[in-house]
This record gives sequence, structure tokens and C-alpha cells, in this order.
Amino acid sequence: MKIVVTVKLVPDPNAEKKLDAGSKRLVRTGVETVLNPYDEYAIEGALKIKESLGGDTTVTIFSMAPAASKEVLRKALAMGADDAVLLTDPGLEGSDVWGTAYAMAQGLKKVGFDLVICGGLADDGSTGGVPGALAEYLGVPGFTNCRHVDVADGKLKVQRETDSGYQVVSGPTPALVSVTMAVGEPRYASLKGIMGAKKKTIATLSVADLGLSHAVGSEGAKTEVAVIGAPPVREKARVVEAPDGATGARIIFDLLKEKKLV
Amino acid sequence: MRNVIVFAEHKGGQTRKVTFELATEARALADTLGGRAHAVVLGRGASGLAERLKAYPLDAIHATEDSDVDTFMIDPVIDYLEAVAHDAGPSLILVPNTMYGRDVAGRIAARLDAGLAADVTQFSIDGGTVGCVAPKLGGVAITTCNFKNTDYGVVTVRPNAFSAQAGGAGAEIVSIEKPPGKAYTMKIEEDVEEASGEMGLEEAPVIVSGGRGLGGPEPFETLLKPLADALGGAVGATRAASDAGWVPYSLQIGQTGKTVSPQLYIACGISGAIQHKVGMRTAGTIVAINKDAAAPIVEFSDLMVVGDVFQVVPELTRLVKESASA
Ligand SMILES: Cc1cc2nc3c(=O)[nH]c(=O)nc-3n(C[C@H](O)[C@H](O)[C@H](O)COP(=O)(O)OP(=O)(O)OC[C@H]3O[C@@H](n4cnc5c(N)ncnc54)[C@H](O)[C@@H]3O)c2cc1C
Ligand SMILES: Nc1ncnc2c1ncn2[C@@H]1O[C@H](COP(=O)(O)O)[C@@H](O)[C@H]1O
Repeated sequence: MKIVVTVKLVPDPNAEKKLDAGSKRLVRTGVETVLNPYDEYAIEGALKIKESLGGDTTVTIFSMAPAASKEVLRKALAMGADDAVLLTDPGLEGSDVWGTAYAMAQGLKKVGFDLVICGGLADDGSTGGVPGALAEYLGVPGFTNCRHVDVADGKLKVQRETDSGYQVVSGPTPALVSVTMAVGEPRYASLKGIMGAKKKTIATLSVADLGLSHAVGSEGAKTEVAVIGAPPVREKARVVEAPDGATGARIIFDLLKEKKLV
Repeated sequence: MRNVIVFAEHKGGQTRKVTFELATEARALADTLGGRAHAVVLGRGASGLAERLKAYPLDAIHATEDSDVDTFMIDPVIDYLEAVAHDAGPSLILVPNTMYGRDVAGRIAARLDAGLAADVTQFSIDGGTVGCVAPKLGGVAITTCNFKNTDYGVVTVRPNAFSAQAGGAGAEIVSIEKPPGKAYTMKIEEDVEEASGEMGLEEAPVIVSGGRGLGGPEPFETLLKPLADALGGAVGATRAASDAGWVPYSLQIGQTGKTVSPQLYIACGISGAIQHKVGMRTAGTIVAINKDAAAPIVEFSDLMVVGDVFQVVPELTRLVKESASA
């Protein structure tokens, strides 16, 4: 079985986020680029399936990102993925959800797959819209928000989180799944994994390889950021020590009354 | 795009307030754009909900009780929604920003080659251009995103961002034809509710939320629930609490949980990690109860009471109850 994991490369989630008022894009300079943390769970989910199936199951990493970030993919390879494909092209810059999913889908068709595994959301944009849109453009079933994925005889049985509980859903492959953090903590790369990753292949694809029928990048995008503003600032918190419960409760209660919340 | 289509999320006909918020806002938007306001209600219980929606200012309510919608995951929903969208013509499609809504939004956007705007809290319409206002990057910026190059714009709308107002009734209920030639494969074998009967977190006017500081599952029941009940609200939690198995995941608030904007958020024993903050920072009033005066939550609260939740919360519950019965 050929598993492809889609990973986004994002600015370090622990770095402070800023928007550039001119370009209206996220400021990426001076901030390290890392694997989207949610996609590390997707890689973990893929490696678990590979282990359970054994045989000739392979895990390929797929990312659409600027060429300069190529080496970040080594981390995914060090975790145990077999190889990687980077879809990179200046023409893809400024892609929105639509353009990202559309271009990625054509790239994934080129790469070939039995199962595509996505993270649940991207830490930088975090619309969570890409996996569903991808499934649609790939024309395969899309099992989203899975916390457990079973593959047997080319069929899937997943447990997926819902707003109020969970569902068990079954279906065929080829398919796409997106996973939640409950699939299991991402493994650390072993020293052997890190050494081995240096020898693994990272192939590249460009727009010319895809045969697209729509314009992509900022030109083709269906949304554009028109205005950026600062959010209203909350006044600094009033900090009050509560030597006992009654005092603390009274302070809160007075605020609730003042704000007409009780 | 001139028309507006509301996707009415529901389960067996039971829906959340956000559906009525969207129905109300759809009218305002359709009037500004010079089009019609539609709603789509699919699956078991659809007819009942369609009747209830008649109390809202819509032009047409498209409904079907087709059992495929509840037997198969998402695909039938997208087919029906697509059919209504093609019928209605260029439209803005409003979907609630819930886990399910986000799934629907991504798929229908691709199906219609449409733009997608996420977590929208306000609209700005200038001529024919629809702008969607949303907090971005964990709230460090408020952006307005315009649709272009597209006949359809899909929007996930944050619950509680708009108000629901019945009135202007009289919408016709139209039954939707099943799109022909479809075979569905994602079969729902089990559908388990873990937090049924609870008020939807996204629509709760007050949330009393607990974190690792509560130390175990019991205090959520014995400490937070009574306060939430007294305030007419719901109980929420951090990922630390749901990961520990103290509460179901469906109570989790934050980047990987629910995004909420209640009038009042009381954070009990919660440090205020960035992933939690992005799910609740737009709450009206934020009160934190924490032993540690330096916990990061102080950076985005209105009031930080430095104290022990086990002492403060019962007293607060007593005061609220007393004032309610006074
Ligand atoms: C990729 C990723 C996604 C995540 N998504 C989410 C998410 O969606 N939502 C989320 O919430 N978290 C999320 N997290 C986890 C997040 O980073 C924090 O670990 C988590 O929010 C911490 O929860 P907490 O505040 O309950 O616990 P802690 O950080 O341990 O804080 C507990 C607080 O309780 C206080 N305390 C202890 N005892 C008492 C007492 N008796 N009285 C008063 N105060 C007391 C302590 O002073 C402390 O401040 C995510 C993490 C990652 C890496
Ligand atoms: N540029 C990209 N390259 C590869 N995968 C992506 C990209 N953008 C989004 N994804 C995938 O889609 C998931 C959800 O992202 P998003 O919808 O942007 O929040 C991520 O966890 C990735 O698996």
C-alpha cells in the first residue's frame, strides 16, 4: 500500500506571529520554518499503519512549499518515512485554500497513492479546509478528524471525532483521511533515522509538471486579504490576591454585577 | 454573488442557536446584495426543523428527509448542497464554524471551485464585493478577506457572532430532488454521543472552564457544573483535562477544540497556553482563578483572582445562587 502524508511547513508555532501590513502575509523572516505540528501526528498515523501492514507498504511525504524549505522535510524522513516530494513553484505563491487544494490534488495524482493522510489543521492558517477540498479534487472518500484508523484488505475502518462524540465509519481505498492528535504522540527520530534520512530522496514537482487547467497562486486565488487591522485591546487585567475563598468570590461577583452578568 | 444559502446543521432535527443566527444574517446579506435568502436542511428530522425555520426571514427552505444523509458520511450532503447552489445561482454559502461545518465548507468549496473564508465574525459589503472579517493568527490581527474570481463564496461563521431574530416569516418549503446516479461508500457504522443533552459550548452565553488545576474528573461535576448551572452556562475544559480523560474531547476549547465567544468565560486552574487562548480570547469578559499570579492567562483576562479554585468557586456559586433567588 502506498501512503502519502501531506505536510505543511509553517513558521515556528512558538514564535510570536505578525502580519506584514504591506504584503498582508505572515512575516516569515527571522522565524524558523518547521513541520506543522499537526502533521507530525499524520506522519505518526501513517507509520503505525505501515507497521501494522508490513510488507511493501511505503510512506511518502508530500508538501507544497517554497524551495528554500526543502531540508525541513528531512525531519519527516528521519521519523521513518521512505521518501518525499516537494511541490514548489514561484507561481504557487499566494495560493488560498482553493488553490492549495487544487494544485496539491494534481500533484498527488502524479505521485500516486492508496491512502492520503493529512493533519487536522495548519498552525499558521488553520482553516482546516484543505483536507476536505483535497478529497473532493482527488475524487476519493475523505474521512476527516480520525483518531484511529484501521486498514485491512484495502478497506478502511476509522473512528472519527465529532462535535459531540465520535463515529465509526467504514469505506474503500483509495481514500483520504485527516487525523487528530489522538492518533498518538509523534515518535522521536532515532539517531539511525536521522543518519538514514540524509540518503533518502526528496523529489520536486513544479507547476509545469501538473497540467493545470486553472490559474493558481495569487492570480487564480478566489480570496484576497483586503484589510488588516489590529484587534481591540483588552485593558490590563486587574490582579487581586484572594487570601480566602469568600474574598475571591466576592471580587468576581462584584465584577459580574457591574457587567450585568448576574 | 447575490444570493445567500444557509447550511442548517442539525442532528435528528435538533439544532443550535447558530442556525437561527445564520438565517437572520442571511436576510440582511441578501437584502444588501439584492438576492434571495435560502436554507438547506438535510436528513432525519429535516421537516421539523424546516417548519421551525419558517419563523425566520428566509425566502426558501430546501429540505429532504433522505436517509442516505444519516447513513453515509458527508457525500450526500455535498451533493444536495451543490444542487441547491446551482439552482439558486451565484451565492454566499454560510456554514457554522463547527467541526462538521468545516468539513462541509472545504468540500463544497472544492465542488463549486469556490473561495473559502474561515471563522468569520462580521461581513463588510462594498458594492458587489463581499468581505469577510475574521480574527487571524490567534487573534493578533483582524483581516477582511474579499472573494474574487468566483461565483460562490463559502464562509464558516463563528457561533455567537451574530444575533438571531425571528420575524418576516413565510418562507416556502421546497423539497429537494435527489441528485441522480450517486453511490455512496463512507458508511456510518456507529454514531456515539458523549456530551448529548448538554448545551452546545459554542452557543453558551457563559462558560466555566477547567484545566489541570482541577486535579481530576470529579471537580468538573461537583465544582464547575453547579457554577455553570447557576450562571445559565456550560462547562468547558483545556486539552490537558481532556487528554487526562477527565472530560470528553467535545468539551475541549482551543485550537484543536472548539472556538467560543461567550459573554463570560471563567477559567479555573488554567494556565492560558497559546493553543487554549486562540479558542476563547474573544470572550466578552474573562475571569481567571489561578494560584499562580504569573500564569500567562493574566495577559488576556479582565480579572485575575490569585487563589485556590477549590475555595473560590463554591463561594462564588453560593453568591450567584443567592442573588438569583433574591
Ligand atoms: C499542537 C497542540 C495543540 C493543542 N491544542 C490545545 C487546545 O485546543 N486546547 C487547549 O486547551 N490546549 C491545547 N494544547 C495544550 C496546551 O499547550 C496546554 O498544554 C494546555 O492548554 C494546558 O492546560 P491547563 O491550563 O489545564 O494546564 P497547565 O498548563 O498545567 O495549567 C494548570 C494551571 O492551574 C493552576 N492551578 C493548579 N492548581 C490550582 C488550584 N487549586 N487553584 C487554582 N489554580 C490552580 C496552575 O497555577 C496552572 O496555571 C495543545 C498543545 C499542542 C502542542
Ligand atoms: N501547503 C501544503 N502542503 C502540504 N500539505 C498541506 C498544505 N496546506 C495544507 N496541507 C494539509 O492540510 C492540512 C490542513 O491544513 P489547513 O486546511 O490549511 O488548516 C494540513 O495539516 C496538511 O496535512
